[in-house]
Amino acid sequence: MIVRVLDIGIAGLLLGGIYALIAVGLTLQYGVARVLNIAHGEFIMIGAFITWSLYIIFGINPLLSLAICGPAIFTIGFLLYRTLFRRLRISSASPAAFEGSSMLACFGLLFIIQNLAILIWGADIKGYSYLAFPIRFWGQTFAANRLITLGFALAIGLIFYFFLTWSRLGKAIRAAAQDAAAAELMGINIDQVLALCFGFGALMAGLGGTLLSMSYKIQPTMGLEYTVIALIVIVLGGLGSIPGSFIGGLLLGLVGSIVTYIQPGLSLVAYYLLFMLLLLAKPTGILGK
Amino acid sequence: MDIARVISKRSSALWAPFLILILLASLPLCAPQYTIILLTTIFMYIVITVSWTMFSGPTGYISLAPAAFFGVGVYTSALLGLVLPLPAIIGIGGLASFCLALFVGALTLRLRGTYFVMFTFGLVELLLHFVLWWEVNITGTTGRVVPTVNNTKVFYFMLIIFVILMFALYTIRGSRFGLALEAIGQNEDAAAHTGVNVTMVKVITFAISAFFMGAAGALMATRWTYIDPKIAFNPLLSFMPVLMAIFGGMGQLYGPIIGAAIFAYLEEFLITRFPYYYMLIFGTIMVIAIVYMPEGLVGLIRRLLKSSTEGRHART
Amino acid sequence: MKSKVLPGILAFAVAALFMVSSAEAKRRPAKDKIVIGQAIALSGPLAGGVAIAGGPIYELWVEEVNKNGGIYVKEYGKKLPVVLKRYDDKSDIGTMTNLLEKLILNDKVDFVFPPWGTAWLYAAAQIANKYHYILIGGPGGALKLKELKLPYFFQVLNFSETQAPGLAGIFKEVGVKSVAVIYRGDLHGVEYGDAMVPYFKKKGIEVKMKKSYPPGIKDLSPLLKEAKSLGVDAFCAASYPDGGMLLTGQSIELGINFNAFFITVTPFSPNLYRDTFGVDVVEGVMGGGAWNAKSSPGAKELVDKYVSRFGVEPDYWGALYYWSSLQHFQQAIEKAGTLDQKKIRDVMATSTFQTALGPFWYDKNRYFVNHPGEIGQWQKGVFEVIDPGEKRTAPPLYPKPPWPKKKK
Repeated sequence: MIVRVLDIGIAGLLLGGIYALIAVGLTLQYGVARVLNIAHGEFIMIGAFITWSLYIIFGINPLLSLAICGPAIFTIGFLLYRTLFRRLRISSASPAAFEGSSMLACFGLLFIIQNLAILIWGADIKGYSYLAFPIRFWGQTFAANRLITLGFALAIGLIFYFFLTWSRLGKAIRAAAQDAAAAELMGINIDQVLALCFGFGALMAGLGGTLLSMSYKIQPTMGLEYTVIALIVIVLGGLGSIPGSFIGGLLLGLVGSIVTYIQPGLSLVAYYLLFMLLLLAKPTGILGK
Repeated sequence: MDIARVISKRSSALWAPFLILILLASLPLCAPQYTIILLTTIFMYIVITVSWTMFSGPTGYISLAPAAFFGVGVYTSALLGLVLPLPAIIGIGGLASFCLALFVGALTLRLRGTYFVMFTFGLVELLLHFVLWWEVNITGTTGRVVPTVNNTKVFYFMLIIFVILMFALYTIRGSRFGLALEAIGQNEDAAAHTGVNVTMVKVITFAISAFFMGAAGALMATRWTYIDPKIAFNPLLSFMPVLMAIFGGMGQLYGPIIGAAIFAYLEEFLITRFPYYYMLIFGTIMVIAIVYMPEGLVGLIRRLLKSSTEGRHART
Repeated sequence: MKSKVLPGILAFAVAALFMVSSAEAKRRPAKDKIVIGQAIALSGPLAGGVAIAGGPIYELWVEEVNKNGGIYVKEYGKKLPVVLKRYDDKSDIGTMTNLLEKLILNDKVDFVFPPWGTAWLYAAAQIANKYHYILIGGPGGALKLKELKLPYFFQVLNFSETQAPGLAGIFKEVGVKSVAVIYRGDLHGVEYGDAMVPYFKKKGIEVKMKKSYPPGIKDLSPLLKEAKSLGVDAFCAASYPDGGMLLTGQSIELGINFNAFFITVTPFSPNLYRDTFGVDVVEGVMGGGAWNAKSSPGAKELVDKYVSRFGVEPDYWGALYYWSSLQHFQQAIEKAGTLDQKKIRDVMATSTFQTALGPFWYDKNRYFVNHPGEIGQWQKGVFEVIDPGEKRTAPPLYPKPPWPKKKK
């Protein structure tokens, strides 16, 4: 029995790790920079496809791709904020108006990125095998690539958490998350901080994509479903709370795993039911105030 | 003289929509059939966008539930087949959405801002996956055939839904109810203090807007001919009215209408001309539009008019 | 000012629409080509399926026909080249039905080709039938479609109706005692799930587990582990490419092996399935299908043409079916000597023509029945047809070898 519980628990964490990572990315973009980034999943997709190309064409180890994808996608995200979203933020009359207009812009980006990906890589499903072998411990079997994924997701999450807690920039980001206007008054260059936030968000998505591509098949249209999951998780965790979305991601993975074990047909229903019940019971999320 | 000008203005404002309506209603007599089909789709988007604006415009609550309400209408139609006359099916579809919105509204309208946005979005996915699970595991079948209906008939019904919607919208705007709604949008707490039953007003408006989405869904099901949960509850449809309303400009009543019409037509135009690049072009247009027309088409038109009248003043 | 703007814009829009639509209606060139319209998913979730299964066959056929100067139509006394006019349905059924009607009503195409996916085929069949346009079924097929009795619809691909008994026959032959069945929660899954169980029972094979999973699920390992703990001989899954790839990937990762491993959709794809996992890894996996270059001389020719055109092998389920159905269609047009839908339909419904897979004809329900095979199995990199009977290209490999333990 205990073995069974452990098995389900770890299976849930394996999935939850990736959810956590991409949700942290979206929290930075939506919770802090206030951009409802519907194109979040497209950054995941780009990360996955770059990794695939590097592995198939140049034989570059997917884990090494983390170091290549991350900075590249960070730059894209950062520049996008500096050019596009900064302009929208300034020209929007209210935060609500900015939310609407940035959503429209993100939709445009989604279309552009997806179309470019189809033109570059074709519309078909792609994949590769990496570390696809079982590892046994505690009497249970787990997939090596998924364990590695979880390990990296946790490590990236921890590093980022320490960065937020200890560094000056991290503190500025947290200040911006709590109250952008006040942070600006305190002498924080809010444009720069929000652009960095958006960039870090894209970075997390890109890293998530790289890790995903190790155990899932990829295609240019895969983005939206991850965006949807990330949206759920960031609300679960409490909007703007970075540790909250990390925990929320792990939790969603666990719930999915438990329900899949009992009644697989209901696993997705469970996601949304949990999400909505929690919203009703505690609208500010697990770690919200 | 001033009075005369006011009257003529008034009457032009009244007769012009009627003229357009008559023009549209007579279209099936002379226009090619495909134009009718295209117009039906465009009006579907107009109905969804306008009914979305009906609630979300004044209150400022961004609802991502349109796909849920539209889907309930679609599904009602699919379940009933064509055993009942079409108007009855449209009515039932609308009512089903109305009831769902009453329930959801009562449950959730205490949520504000982003939480409301996310809850309504979750609703679509929950319905989709629940209906899917229900059909696969309980009824043991999925997917339903809906008999096709004459294209012109569908067009007329869509036009009728649109006219009723506009009528409802005008009535609400001019009433105390509409004022209460505006007050909520400006300051919800203040509105509550002045004696507005905030929850009631919000829930009822939410439900009325859902009625029209459901009715449009029930009608459109006959165009799609085959329905399954994934088709009925398409999450993308939740974003469409938001995008179209912003594209058109939310400030004015006609903003969402021209927004939806141009957005829908543009998409059809691009998709048939550039099947392999249409997303690229469409996406670029969206980004450019939002950067250069932050207030939507309405804002752009107003700016153009302003500059042209200013130009005239300068010349005289 | 406000009140003037609104009517002005609307009136302009209506007038513009009038002009656009009437201008388009006027253009009708003299008959110097045959235009075939197809609304198919070039973007959206289905686009991946279109690219690996079915989509390219239509392009290849058009190129092939034009290489020979076109289709000879007696009515015009000459060979007419074929033009394929494609629209992107965005994987959305509402868009597909609109575009199909646009092709028929506005573009006035001579013929229409099918969209991709069973649900889409359903909707398209009804619309084509409404306008009396022939629709030759492509990727997709379902029992429920048969009940509609559409006179202009021809079903080409095999589906659960013939594949389920085929699979049960093979299982009986090799000695499978018990199975676990999982199926995707959609029309495809439900039909296959329901079709397989009674045939297994009839052959005395015990069905120890039958569960559905929702499309979009990200972890199928609990199902695999459960089936393993029940000790079943065979694992059968009715899935689409996303689930098929995930299921195979997770079985390999967890080292969970069954004596027989069958997935409806996905194994048939040489480039997606075989080449992603590797020839030695997929050894023994069974899938819906099926044909290969050994099935007939025409099949060999198709593989060669496809490889030289697209650089990859065709899929080993539908490609030969669609290809042959198009060859049958071409001969029907030439025999009818006209582009009239009704006359061609009648020829198609009654005539047998030689095609790449051999003689091709439709039964009285206009269903293609002379299938080149139902079930395939990867053996040394070839998708062998393992049906009992003369279509078999190799005997079934049973039990399936364990997933190779390779560590990189």
